[in-house]
Amino acid sequence: MKQTPHMRTLALLAWRNLWRNSRRTLITLTTVTLGFAIAVFFIGIGDGAHNQMIRNGVRMGDGHLAVLPKGYLEAPANHVFLRQGKAAARILAASGVVGRVSPRINLQVLASTANNSVGAMLQGMVLDKDPRAESIKKGIIQGVWPLTADSRGVVIGSRMAAKLKAKVGSKIVVLAGTSAGESSSRLGRVRAVFHTGVDDLDGYVMLSNLEFARAFLLEEGGEAALEPVTSFGILLDNETTLPLWEARLKGLQWPAEAQVADWREIMPQLVNYILVDDMGNYVALGFVLVMVAFGILNTISMSVLERTREFGLLRALGMNPLGVMLLVMWEAWWLSLVSLVLGWTVGGGIHQYFATQGWDLSKMMGDQGLVTSGVVMDPVLYSELSWGRVGLLTLVILATILISGLYPAFRAFRVTPVQALET
Amino acid sequence: MTPTEDTPVLLRCENLTRVYKQGEVEVHALSGVSLVLWEKEFTALVGPSGSGKTTFLNLIGGLDKPTSGELFINGTDLTRLSPAKLAAFRLYQVGFVFQSYNLVPVLSALENVAFVMVLQGRPPKERNERAHHYLERVGLADLAHRRPKALSGGQQQRVAVARALAAGPRLVLADEPTANLDSESAFGLLDLMHDLNRQEGITFLFSTHDPRVVERAGRVITLRDGRVVVGE
Repeated sequence: MKQTPHMRTLALLAWRNLWRNSRRTLITLTTVTLGFAIAVFFIGIGDGAHNQMIRNGVRMGDGHLAVLPKGYLEAPANHVFLRQGKAAARILAASGVVGRVSPRINLQVLASTANNSVGAMLQGMVLDKDPRAESIKKGIIQGVWPLTADSRGVVIGSRMAAKLKAKVGSKIVVLAGTSAGESSSRLGRVRAVFHTGVDDLDGYVMLSNLEFARAFLLEEGGEAALEPVTSFGILLDNETTLPLWEARLKGLQWPAEAQVADWREIMPQLVNYILVDDMGNYVALGFVLVMVAFGILNTISMSVLERTREFGLLRALGMNPLGVMLLVMWEAWWLSLVSLVLGWTVGGGIHQYFATQGWDLSKMMGDQGLVTSGVVMDPVLYSELSWGRVGLLTLVILATILISGLYPAFRAFRVTPVQALET
Repeated sequence: MTPTEDTPVLLRCENLTRVYKQGEVEVHALSGVSLVLWEKEFTALVGPSGSGKTTFLNLIGGLDKPTSGELFINGTDLTRLSPAKLAAFRLYQVGFVFQSYNLVPVLSALENVAFVMVLQGRPPKERNERAHHYLERVGLADLAHRRPKALSGGQQQRVAVARALAAGPRLVLADEPTANLDSESAFGLLDLMHDLNRQEGITFLFSTHDPRVVERAGRVITLRDGRVVVGE
């Protein structure tokens, strides 16, 4: 919009008016800046924690995208698997997806030693390539990570090892029920024990190569030549390409038994947790905005009240009521602009600090973090702010301040010259 | 300046009445005022407090509307103008000088003088030249960049006069412009207004209590209890 000379004068008048009571303006700016910085901190840490959970969930779970048997998400069971794993693998390879594709077999089993038995999740995978295996491998406390060709080797968590009184070299009988009411079993040998500090992993997960786990699928009617698996996890190299690859993969011709799902469909509990947690953050942000709004409302209202006579003068000199209203809105605009600059300077500094140094909550959460909605949350939280968030925060604060200025501006609008000059 | 037969009429009012309500009581601030003001007159409006001087100036200046009666300025019936048109009328036709100076405190003397011209939408060069010219006319060229609080009462009132004149009005209304000034400043201001009236032909109507001020007026209108008793 081309600025008219009138607008420039209003802007100048408003700017100078703002500093007539500099102490009051500075107190207001401090309130808004603090509110802004608090909002940036909470949203940055909240988003950082959520993104971290998503990344962990995606990495430790089935990736950004997964090819799964239909019905598996609703009712996972040992007999629900992709019988035509080889065909699905071929389609994935031909799709050119940029990321890591990991075939996996997940089975509910009973793990037994001579001393004890525990329920376990047997996860068969390519042990030297799978991202989930890489994460767990970092927590090895005993033994050596088995080779992919090791047809009997299993890796168990520290809590499972303690319950089974098993150690490296111990034999473990792995027993799985079949849909026909029978059971099948295999003998494994503990090659390594890991400790992540996350009870669900340490006490429940057992890893093996694909062949060891696939033997159970063959008992369920799978054909070895078709290379059956439970799923293919796809960890994209660039997470921002998810919508693109999701659309492409969902558009491919898959075997009738297969479906493509994204991480939101695979981990709905995580999506819900983030949604609820975000609501909490928004409520907190709402309180901050109310604080900001009252600060601004008070400053501008006082300023308008004190200058009733002056508004009357402006009206007497020929300024129309809209001009007077615009003058007050210009004051609100300057206040918002300075507040935003200060707010982003302080808030941005806080964000930058926590984005690089992190917020260490290990004293509260323990060194290994917490499991929330089935996903590991790291004990050190890092602030993350997307440009979308920056834009949203800026707009929300700007709108709050400008809306707060509307009522005083309307009061100024209603000033009549005679009444005002009599004050 | 004394009007002749050829002097055009600037203001004509007939039976002008303004009634205020104070609670249940009706206050007749003006009761049927009828008079004519010719162009280039230098007129004093006198009368005791509560006689209706300020009310009359407010009506003429388009700051207020009469309860009844007719009010024509330069051929325009003010009683029929909307608030927006009244604002435009004030902007282009009338200059105001108030008792308590009423300058915009955050603007310098020069900016105050130029302010009404900004509202009029005059180009910056013209505003600047006229503002400087009138500040020079009121003897404040050296103090052009001072803000009101750095000026004395007399100087502030001179800035107010310069502001009223710089916008090029047909009529300047001054409500007790010397009331807050010492004698020297008051006479200086009156001399200045009188000079401008003679040299630039601007019509002045000012209210006052001060008999020494009245002596300088070309014409005196006396109000009492909302009626014109002398000078109709």
